[in-house]
Amino acid sequence: MHFVIAFILSIALMAADHYSHFMGNVRSVLLTTINPIEQIATLPKQIYLLATTDFTNINALKVENQQLKTELLLVKAKQQQFANLQLEVSRLESLLGTAGKMNAQSLQIATVTFYSNNPLSQYLTLDKGQIKKVAIQQTVIDSEGIMGQIVSTTPTSSRVLLITDPDHQIPVRIQRTGQRGILSGTGHDTTQLGFIPKNSLVEIGDLLESSGLGNVFPAGYPVAVVTQIEDKAGNPYLEITATPIAELHQSHKVLILSQANPYLNFDEDLSESQNKKDEGNAHVQ
Amino acid sequence: MSSNFLNIRASQARWIILLSYLVALAFDTIALLGHSSPVVPPLTLFFVLYWCANFLDRTHLFSAFILGLLSDALYQTPLGSHALLFSIFTFLMIRHRLRFKTYPVWQQAFFIGIYMLAYQVLNYLFFTPVLDSNDFVQYWTMPAASIMAWPVLAYSLRRISHSAADS
Repeated sequence: MHFVIAFILSIALMAADHYSHFMGNVRSVLLTTINPIEQIATLPKQIYLLATTDFTNINALKVENQQLKTELLLVKAKQQQFANLQLEVSRLESLLGTAGKMNAQSLQIATVTFYSNNPLSQYLTLDKGQIKKVAIQQTVIDSEGIMGQIVSTTPTSSRVLLITDPDHQIPVRIQRTGQRGILSGTGHDTTQLGFIPKNSLVEIGDLLESSGLGNVFPAGYPVAVVTQIEDKAGNPYLEITATPIAELHQSHKVLILSQANPYLNFDEDLSESQNKKDEGNAHVQ
Repeated sequence: MSSNFLNIRASQARWIILLSYLVALAFDTIALLGHSSPVVPPLTLFFVLYWCANFLDRTHLFSAFILGLLSDALYQTPLGSHALLFSIFTFLMIRHRLRFKTYPVWQQAFFIGIYMLAYQVLNYLFFTPVLDSNDFVQYWTMPAASIMAWPVLAYSLRRISHSAADS
């Protein structure tokens, strides 16, 4: 009798999870339960890193600090240029009579607390959750490119499905030619670019960036680089392998982008970003 | 000592059982961090099967179901899929646990190997993992790894259970 109940309940749960979004709260409760165990699981690695870190090398830390300060200065200078360029684009757009709107993304910095390398599922756990207003489908990037999207949240953490996960797909375009396609994960730290016909001009080394179709991922962020192109007989499309640009398993600090809102006014957003600076949230345009 | 172990009830070792489940979940979580995770047997299921075979006054299906749900959250699989797999294998163990308990450990390990092979087949059908050549070998080596792991696990848990029965 117990088995029959467990069997029926399992099937019902699977159906509910697959066909509806009602199970988000159940998953959130389960993830909250799992969180402390994930913390415990990372302890041996943390202890190992702590034991192998050289505490005495203050000089190296000073040099690193100096380098980081220099890099920060350069990035700030570039950001100023970027802001000027955006203003310029906005002015040109208004001159041309096109809609003078810009994409605006507010960013939140989060720390990776756990990750999965399993071929079945590739994900990261972040230390920011519902309390910090992290929501499902938000895009996560690192300094190089798109890493994935938030698929579940708990009050204090969130889970990011990486672009290499077999269940993950992201609409992209080839930066050089503008050709659109769908990039799917393989589960082995690589991705496959689908729906690219054989007469396409794709080349090894081409950069794939998010196309913004579907309104889940913001457009224009780098995603992967084409590393292999196979032309198999009987297949109308090319088989293209691409390697993610983001450092999926090395990044410790990542950025969570807010939901893409293509209709935010550029000027309004500038003042908003100024306010958010005080709250510790970086805000870029 | 062994007769004492035969007579103890699950309620007498409740905390040990709960703690063992937590340890098993932690080990399964650690396995996710490594590249060799396909070869590591699901320890939570191992522990459920062990307690199910040794404490006959309970079905342990509720534990199997809850641990399955937690595994679903851990592996990011559809909710209920691991719960279903765990429930099925616990039920199979319930069906012949009286016989299983009388087997020597090496024979138990052999049966667990068959269980794990069936588990991997169902796992493959359920989740259709994309396996490269290295992962493919590791994935199908898991039942063999289970055969080697079972005696160690059975011996350790038996020792702990004895301590619980004696105290």
